[in-house]
Amino acid sequence: MKFDNKIFKFIFIVPVIIYSVFLIALPLLYIFWISFLKNDSYGGIINVFTLQNYIDIFADVYIKIFLRSFLIALGTTFICILISYPFVLAVSHKNKKIQQILMTLVMVPFLTNSLIRMYGFTVLLRKYGVINQILLNTSLINEPLELMYNTFGIMIGMVYTLLPFMILPLYSSVLTIEKPILEAANDLGASKWQTFKKIILPQTLPGLFNGSLMVFTPALGYFFIVDILGGGKIMILGNLIKNQFLTARNWPFGAAISVFLILITSILIWGYKKIGGKMDDLGGM
Amino acid sequence: MKKIILVFLMLLILTGCTKKEEQKHVNILNWSSYIPDSVIRNFEKETNIKVNYGTYSSNEELLAKVSNAKEGTYDLIFPSDYMIEIMKNRDMLEKIDKTKLNNINNLNSSYLNLEYDSNNDYSLPFIAASTVISVNRDLVKDSITSYNDLLNPKYKNDIVLIDDQRIIIGMALLANGYDMNSTDEKELEVAKEWLLQLKDNIKAYDSDSPKNFLITKEVSIAVLWNAEGALASMENNSIENIFPNEGFALSIDNFAIPKGAKNKEELYIFIDYILRPDVMKEIISSYPYKNINKETDKILNDDYLNNKAANIPDEIYKQGSFVKNVGDSIRTFDKIWAEIK
Repeated sequence: MKFDNKIFKFIFIVPVIIYSVFLIALPLLYIFWISFLKNDSYGGIINVFTLQNYIDIFADVYIKIFLRSFLIALGTTFICILISYPFVLAVSHKNKKIQQILMTLVMVPFLTNSLIRMYGFTVLLRKYGVINQILLNTSLINEPLELMYNTFGIMIGMVYTLLPFMILPLYSSVLTIEKPILEAANDLGASKWQTFKKIILPQTLPGLFNGSLMVFTPALGYFFIVDILGGGKIMILGNLIKNQFLTARNWPFGAAISVFLILITSILIWGYKKIGGKMDDLGGM
Repeated sequence: MKKIILVFLMLLILTGCTKKEEQKHVNILNWSSYIPDSVIRNFEKETNIKVNYGTYSSNEELLAKVSNAKEGTYDLIFPSDYMIEIMKNRDMLEKIDKTKLNNINNLNSSYLNLEYDSNNDYSLPFIAASTVISVNRDLVKDSITSYNDLLNPKYKNDIVLIDDQRIIIGMALLANGYDMNSTDEKELEVAKEWLLQLKDNIKAYDSDSPKNFLITKEVSIAVLWNAEGALASMENNSIENIFPNEGFALSIDNFAIPKGAKNKEELYIFIDYILRPDVMKEIISSYPYKNINKETDKILNDDYLNNKAANIPDEIYKQGSFVKNVGDSIRTFDKIWAEIK
């Protein structure tokens, strides 16, 4: 039996190894490799070593795009936290059955492709879209509101798409708080805010950080949301990288930005470990 | 336990035994919304050749798709003028054997032997296009004859542009009296300043369907491809199409065969089919770009012929210019693009 077990383990692990090596590690190495090469004007890659791509990143215009992307991603993360905490705490007080139903509902949007959901939003948000029509017809407003083709529209799309990634880890860490501790806090006269600050927040910190990472990182790169709800006139890192690989035909520079982005994300995770987070908590749901 | 493994292995072997007899087919990669489905279906019915059809939305996407796919993945592609030049230079195209095309003489000779492929060795024109300014006359009463008219602060957040850096920076160059393909740093700097001035008026950049912005009244002015402008004016007759004084961008999309195409016979049958006057008429009626098939000209409807955005008059067409490959200056274009967004 022991022998069979090993074979089975092997059979199940091999696909994962193949997947990680060929679809994650090798492409990343390739990206890393070409980020030090030159490009020719027809979009080919020349095997000449250069650091120019990394120097180019520090031009004003690209730094501005970095900052803008970070602000959008930070804003998205912050709003997601503000929405998720009350939701998750409210859900955790319901009985098991209702909790399960509510958490399943959080997952429901994933059943539809997110690109299609974004196009759905345009029907709601555009100048003479559903929301503006209702507001105009009820005379609540005289002029249609500018709900999309600006940063506001992008934020709606980002928060909507990424919210579940905040709710899920936060929910699982809220579940680890033992009820008696909350009751004790209540008995000892702690206010709701004190209970949150002293008990809930510290205990859900891993979930909070996990969620923040899962919201923040994709928010830097989700170019389709920016393209559709931002009207293609606001550029974030995702669009910048996409442009290098397509329109500008400058793969090495696109690769350099990607590597830079990976570096920043790694620093964030390193910072998390530094302040005492455990790597297990990042993966633990 | 061993039995389970055995069954598993046998299943693996079985999956290898399902190879079917191959049907004749052709793998086509084309612009989205260029050839109506009905044309493809009729071709399949008539010739019994199955069409595997993929789409792209920019020349650059096409380049990326073809250069990253295994040779022989695609049989027929539709690059524009400057992309033909690039692909030719990267040795990605095969010569076209014109003797295999019976309908080749239907092509209007003014669109043959152009600079980007002087003998049409590697490409044959499919349709021609130009950019145009479309204006909703219900909402905009002022006269618009020049790109500079779009700078009027009245049109705040009221303009949609094609999401293409060469076309839009080219437009800014034209507005300032320069060549659309200028690579002069100073001229490009002026173009950048001009676009920054225009920034507040731009509601969105969109290449997929800018006409929808006009039709849904999201904006009242658009700079888009002529077929989009023509369709918008057919949908709503208060939409007027204007060819600006300073000129505009032209584009010719071509049939081209990527290196290593496998289904040679079928792809020539397909090109010949598209070159048939009645087939081209069906395509042009759905996507009213400028027709370059002489025989089709004779049978097109008045709807098309009288729409000047669709059937661009020759004397206007002459005022346009092609997007040319700008070599390494593409970096400057890309940087400007990042700065104005």
